[in-house]
Amino acid sequence: MRITFKGFAEHILFAANVFIVFLLAFEDKIGIPYWLQPFGRMHPMILHFPIVILMLAMLLESFRFKETYLKEPLYQNFTSGLLLSGTLFSALTVIMGLFLSKEEGYSGSLLQWHKWTGVSIVFVASIIYWCRNTSWYRVKLARIGAVATTLCIILAGHYGASLTHGDNFVLESVTGAKALPKVPVAEARIFEDVILPVFSQKCLSCHNLEKAKGSLMMHNVTALLKGGKSGKLFVPGKPEISLLLDRIHLPMDDKKHMPPKGKDQLSNEEIALLRLWVKGNAELKKKVVDLPVNDSLRLLASTFLAPSAAAEEKYAFAAADESAVKKLNNNYRIVYAVAKESPALAVNIYNKSEYKPEAVKELEAVKQQIVSLDLKGLPVHDEELKTIARFENLRELNLNFTNINGAGLKELQALKYLSTLSISGTKLNYDFVKQIGKIKSLQKLILWNTGLSESDLQQLQKSNPKIALISGFKDDGKHPIRLNQPRISTDVAVFKTSLALQMKHPINGVQIRYTTDGTEPDSLKSRLFDQSLLIKGNTTLKAKAYKTGWYGSETFSANFYKSSYQADTIQFLLPPEDKYSAGASKVLSDHQLGDYEINSGKWVGFRKNNMETLMFFRQPVMMQSVVLNVMRLVPTYIFPPVEVEVWGGSDKNKLRLLSKVKPEAIKNGAERALIKVEAKFKAQSISYLKIVAKNLKVLPQWHPGKGEPAWLFVDEIFLN
Amino acid sequence: MEKDFLEHGLNFNRRRFLSKLSLGLGSVALGSLLIPDLFTGGMDESSLPPGIPDFAPKAKRVIYLFQNGAPSQLESFDYKPKLREMMGQELPASIRAGQRLTGMTANQASFPLVGSYYDFKQYGDSRAWVSDLFPYTAKVVDDICIIKSMHTEAINHDPALTFFQTGAQQGNRPSMGAWLSYGLGSENKNLPAFTVLLSRGKGNGQGVYSKLWTNGFLDSTHQGVQFSSGEDPVLYLKDPEGLNRFERRKMLDHLAKLNEISYQEFGDPEISAKVQQYEMAYRMQTAVPEITDLSKEPDDIIKLYGPDCLVPGTFAANCLLARKLSENGVRFVQLYHQGWDQHGNLPSEMAGQAKDVDQASAALITDLKQRGLLDETLVIWGGEFGRTNYSQGKMTKDNYGRDHHPRCFSIWMAGGGVKPGIVYGESDEFGYNVISNPVHVHDFQATVLHQLGLNHEKLTFKHLGRRYRLTDVSGKVVKDILI
Repeated sequence: MRITFKGFAEHILFAANVFIVFLLAFEDKIGIPYWLQPFGRMHPMILHFPIVILMLAMLLESFRFKETYLKEPLYQNFTSGLLLSGTLFSALTVIMGLFLSKEEGYSGSLLQWHKWTGVSIVFVASIIYWCRNTSWYRVKLARIGAVATTLCIILAGHYGASLTHGDNFVLESVTGAKALPKVPVAEARIFEDVILPVFSQKCLSCHNLEKAKGSLMMHNVTALLKGGKSGKLFVPGKPEISLLLDRIHLPMDDKKHMPPKGKDQLSNEEIALLRLWVKGNAELKKKVVDLPVNDSLRLLASTFLAPSAAAEEKYAFAAADESAVKKLNNNYRIVYAVAKESPALAVNIYNKSEYKPEAVKELEAVKQQIVSLDLKGLPVHDEELKTIARFENLRELNLNFTNINGAGLKELQALKYLSTLSISGTKLNYDFVKQIGKIKSLQKLILWNTGLSESDLQQLQKSNPKIALISGFKDDGKHPIRLNQPRISTDVAVFKTSLALQMKHPINGVQIRYTTDGTEPDSLKSRLFDQSLLIKGNTTLKAKAYKTGWYGSETFSANFYKSSYQADTIQFLLPPEDKYSAGASKVLSDHQLGDYEINSGKWVGFRKNNMETLMFFRQPVMMQSVVLNVMRLVPTYIFPPVEVEVWGGSDKNKLRLLSKVKPEAIKNGAERALIKVEAKFKAQSISYLKIVAKNLKVLPQWHPGKGEPAWLFVDEIFLN
Repeated sequence: MEKDFLEHGLNFNRRRFLSKLSLGLGSVALGSLLIPDLFTGGMDESSLPPGIPDFAPKAKRVIYLFQNGAPSQLESFDYKPKLREMMGQELPASIRAGQRLTGMTANQASFPLVGSYYDFKQYGDSRAWVSDLFPYTAKVVDDICIIKSMHTEAINHDPALTFFQTGAQQGNRPSMGAWLSYGLGSENKNLPAFTVLLSRGKGNGQGVYSKLWTNGFLDSTHQGVQFSSGEDPVLYLKDPEGLNRFERRKMLDHLAKLNEISYQEFGDPEISAKVQQYEMAYRMQTAVPEITDLSKEPDDIIKLYGPDCLVPGTFAANCLLARKLSENGVRFVQLYHQGWDQHGNLPSEMAGQAKDVDQASAALITDLKQRGLLDETLVIWGGEFGRTNYSQGKMTKDNYGRDHHPRCFSIWMAGGGVKPGIVYGESDEFGYNVISNPVHVHDFQATVLHQLGLNHEKLTFKHLGRRYRLTDVSGKVVKDILI
């Protein structure tokens, strides 16, 4: 017998049927080798073919016995071919699907439904194919078969789609309602409406009555509390040692990580929710609103219940007359709509000196519309609270740093919506504040710096657990911090005969203690600064600030130099470098010291030439010391001089060499410094003084600019 | 401004139509159709945009603590133990993925990874990681939202800073504060809606220029007003000798009349802006001294912000001043703290910078909270980009530097309707790329505007033939971090 193409296909179909039965029978015992996995994963691609082909074949099949079509060989052959190929495709799809189902991450009743409806497509279609030419197979049977196959296709398709896309994929965007909470935040219970839904979304599919992996079931409280084979799920109050959180926090690749790899993971918010819930003793009965307003669990739970930006508040009252609002606005009172098309108004009043109680009274024109009123810092008295109590829709009231003592707070009980009240910085009387709980709607009470004692505050919180009390920062004296340094009043560092110094500190009541001998000041023995300090010679001033309740400051240190004489003229025999010669003839004795900023105009720079200056004194002066203040900044080529010569005398042309100094050579890695190079000589009368300071002409081998000349920077010459 | 010019043009048209063409009422009707408030007068303040948000805002004000120079995310909020493990090893090319480099490291032969010199610990209920450099911020971690997945487009300071503030890398567009002033106006007519405070740390610094707080093409009343960092934050507030308050008032009234005449003639809206600025300055004379006087702050406040808060020109003093300005209705207070550009000596320089800002930044949060203001004030802390995970220049055990890095960095936000105590976004284990919930600068800007009740796509201004927005043509509100 010659094997036709069709005959071959029929054999294949039979073999496929047998194979499917085999797969179904030994499902639990088969593992799919990794190289066959791609075959299984092609299931979602191939499945579209049998759907279309079989549907069409079934349509043709149900009209096959119609008189006109019976005689059409094309119709008959086409139908039979179509049915065969459709059935073959469905068999192929089912085999792929069975392979795929062996991979991680597929289980549950949805899969079972999908599997069996899919398998039945193959079986029903195969039976139709083999029986369709028997004598008892007539119109009626053909139609029943066609309908049955189509039904199976629809069901299998539906379950399959639900597996990949999730329930309600098609209508989600239309119905949408699923995403919104069924329970309003005000009524929601922590466990039932927040924690349990997390479990049912992310855990329940494997830990349920039918399929309790690890013998753990999470469908209700009793099951949860029981735990699984590894023990209890959590230790109330101790998230760190609770199995539940332990498993959640294991690395993804760990076999015991939950939910298992490939499954829908917990979001960070959900993990935080679970952690805080366990930390809060795994509370089972409380409502979300029973927690303090600022409690992390409450905040997270509220967002969880109302995930989309909390709906804008809708107000039941009508908008105020526009001209009335406009009339109320002036430079010190701002009345503005909370948002476009919102009837609600917010009011701020400013400027202490302009404030009069009428500013609040006049607001009665819009008393229905005011939802927020800000009177901070104004001389408002309890009397005005009577007026405010008539602003029936008020939500937020700010009375910080006003002159109230709390006597008028009872008036605010009339406000049904008041949720936030700020009374920081007022001098409150606790007897009045005690009654605050009578404002039923109050959620937040801010009373920092009100003179209430710690025990008053605790008592208040205890009797009003639903109100978030914000008492703010109060220094308990246990964690002192360091004071900042004192400052001096002058930036003059060089003086002629004496210098009067003032020291100050920005904080009131600070003591400044100082030394002038270079030792560290201390809080007991060192001299206390009082008004002014007179310096007469070269001095290193060290000062520290002290105050009780603070750590003493770091040491402030400054040097002061005496330069008794100022030359009448200074002449440069060799010019300094152009860039650093501004006002050169003055800056060397202007009594101003520079810092490391060479462009500050306080420095004179030399490179090509040595420094050679000639100073002239109209009145001869007695001199025995010349000090050059120079810079050392090695990376930028700035070196002190290699040699300093001081020449002097009474005749310009007959100067004698008085002194010659060779400072130590600079080593590699020398820190930046301001250096004093002093040349001393026997005291003598001087009219002319010539100073020659030689810069380093050749930078040493270790320097990046080796071979080039170094810079010499001088900012002041002290003459004594 | 466009409208005003048009209106001025139409004014002439109206005259011409009425007198010469005698079209009468028809043209009047047409004119008022084109410009609805054509006949309500020119220099009246009420003709300014009313400043009402599109929807009910969560935040009324912003305090932006800009850390200029770009603090390293790897030594502050983005904990990457892997970098310590791989210390000195080469940054894998697959991670760098062709990221362009600045001229400062482009020629560097190798990119050795370097871990944080400072340790990290977890804090608060949110268990957020914070480095040891920020002990005070660590204490308020449950009040702030740390975003670890910021990314930007620029790689150098000025363009990046300009991008953050104006939405474009080149200058001349309005700054964020100017947009808010334009969109919402001032809450307090006695103070500018947008103020700027500068301070400088000891670290390697980068300049800030007034173009960062420019009004751009918006009316110049929206320009940021820079407060001086000396003893007198606003100069020349006192009346000159021999001129009392009453004389000053009379002078301003006369001046306003003269300006009105010249406005009638030229129709330049800048004239009316000028008049308003004179008036504002007059009122600031009484409002400002009260606010800038820090000497009456209680001792607890000084301890909270740290003793530097009384030294003018420090970051701490500016934080305290920012709180006072914000409390008094200044819409947008912009701080800049310079000195965060640690190309070298990062461990020591950054410690100094952090010490400058840590206590005062945290104090600002606590202080706003204890006044009930945190709910309505949005506080933002962050730089213009991040820093590389590899060392710039020579690296030793306790000294290294980091170059500019635009692809991933951290900032934090607090109050103003932002979820407290969360960490948003993740970077890869090298701290180089964002791997989840990226937040682009435009997304950040859109979110800030959204919190103030403004739709960033609707807050536009037509200039040179096109409509401009702060977020240019992109930006999505980061809803995940909002309450």
